[in-house]
Amino acid sequence: MENNVLNRYVDELATRVNGVVEESFGVLMLKVQAPYIIEALTGAKNFPDVPCDFLHDLCGMDYGDHFEVVYQLSSLHGPQRLRVKASIDRENPVVDSATRIWEGANFLEREAYDMFGIIFKGHPNLKRIYMWDDFEGHPLRKDYVTEPIEVRNVVRKRKEGE
Amino acid sequence: MSIEKTEELILNMGPQHPSMHGLFRMVVHLEGETITHIDPKLGYLHRGMEKLAESRTYSQFIPYTDRLDYLASPHNNWAYVQTVEKLMGVEIPERAEYLRIIFGELARIASHQVCIASTALDMAGWSAWSYAFRDRERICDMYEMTAGSRLTVNIMRIGGMIAEPPEEFWPALRSFLDDTPEMLEEYYGIFFGNEIAMGRLKNVGILTKEMAENLSITGPVLRASGVDYDVRKAEPYSIYDRFDFNVPVRTGCDSYDRTIIRLDEIVESIKIIKQALRDIPDGPIMAKVPKVIKPPVGEVYHRVENPKGELGFYIVSDGTTKPSRLRIRPATFINLQMLSIVAKGWKIQDVVAIFATLDAVLGEVDK
Repeated sequence: MENNVLNRYVDELATRVNGVVEESFGVLMLKVQAPYIIEALTGAKNFPDVPCDFLHDLCGMDYGDHFEVVYQLSSLHGPQRLRVKASIDRENPVVDSATRIWEGANFLEREAYDMFGIIFKGHPNLKRIYMWDDFEGHPLRKDYVTEPIEVRNVVRKRKEGE
Repeated sequence: MSIEKTEELILNMGPQHPSMHGLFRMVVHLEGETITHIDPKLGYLHRGMEKLAESRTYSQFIPYTDRLDYLASPHNNWAYVQTVEKLMGVEIPERAEYLRIIFGELARIASHQVCIASTALDMAGWSAWSYAFRDRERICDMYEMTAGSRLTVNIMRIGGMIAEPPEEFWPALRSFLDDTPEMLEEYYGIFFGNEIAMGRLKNVGILTKEMAENLSITGPVLRASGVDYDVRKAEPYSIYDRFDFNVPVRTGCDSYDRTIIRLDEIVESIKIIKQALRDIPDGPIMAKVPKVIKPPVGEVYHRVENPKGELGFYIVSDGTTKPSRLRIRPATFINLQMLSIVAKGWKIQDVVAIFATLDAVLGEVDK
């Protein structure tokens, strides 16, 4: 019953923001393109009867050809849950910041920036959070080389035939 | 008479500071003794758990979860193995579920005891600290009997538990449960009822309900701000729907309520363990799971009520033996965001109190 209402609202929202609705393990997923993300999140926050108004988690994902930012929404007043995914271009990873909607997105977006290099437009303090400021690269990207810099240089030299 | 502005003082607290609960640094901007701005610096204990998970098999990652919130390691095991079980569709035996409940709630008690102890210690209450740590040792003994280690117990497996508790475990657990009312009275008498503790904690660091919801705060910190929300009730995982317990809620929104709510939670945990002891059936403790864990392609998000807040695991599987992406939603990392907002305008000693009531464990914050 509860889920049917949510289903209808998510479908309505999906047509508004050019999204695709899927389901995985009983949780609805709404996939949208990066420019529509703020509209999708505010829409989900303001669903009548079943508002998904609590930002539970936010994380980056690397699919090789594109990035995704995954928002796990839930509510403190009901069982409704929704997963919103923003698909982001890998060459130009920019997405609007959700800090305008939830202040709690602050650290989470900094982490996604640190680990994936996704730039959140409008974030008040977009700096690295775990790694130090002059750290090179973004560790959770799939193409990141995990060997230390000395080893990496040796491997590169060997490859280049030195 | 006008009050002149003094020169701004920037003070580095941590990372090696006794009141920073591990390796946490905050840069405190002061106006006299009053805080104008706090800049939390994280990452001193960052080990790259999420990256490590991508090169380990599903079973190999279980010991790493112990090192997240190391004061409640069975809970982290639990959150992780349940996520994998959900992904694979594994049903685990009844007895294993009950054992998980018992160990999970023991971990909650142990974690809250450390929180109470370290909050007392941050207020220079040495005796209160030693009382709570003394009692926590008994829980560590029970871990040791079953799993062989006292802190990072690594007690759960995908599909069940590592071992059946030995015979001496049950009398130890029963006598611990019998002694707890007295322990709690002692904590109250020596710490919570103490005038100094009240003076230092009451009405300090107000986190209103609206702020807490907006900042994605979870766990006891949220419930001390008057929100009645607990995953164990709202979305019962494991077999929590079979137990009769209350969710303690307090409306003080201050540091005192954020600490004393943990005392209330210990009372509820004891209720749950007593019911589990009454109902625990005999039987196997491990389900039949394949030797090589290979979940189907898919993604799953699962969350549990960790002693410090909601711990979530988000696993994306590509059908191989290793996860394609494993995301940990650390509770205290997100709860820490309130520090710079709430502590503004308070004195430097209050910031230590506010930070202590968050019960941050840097293993979880830094991953």
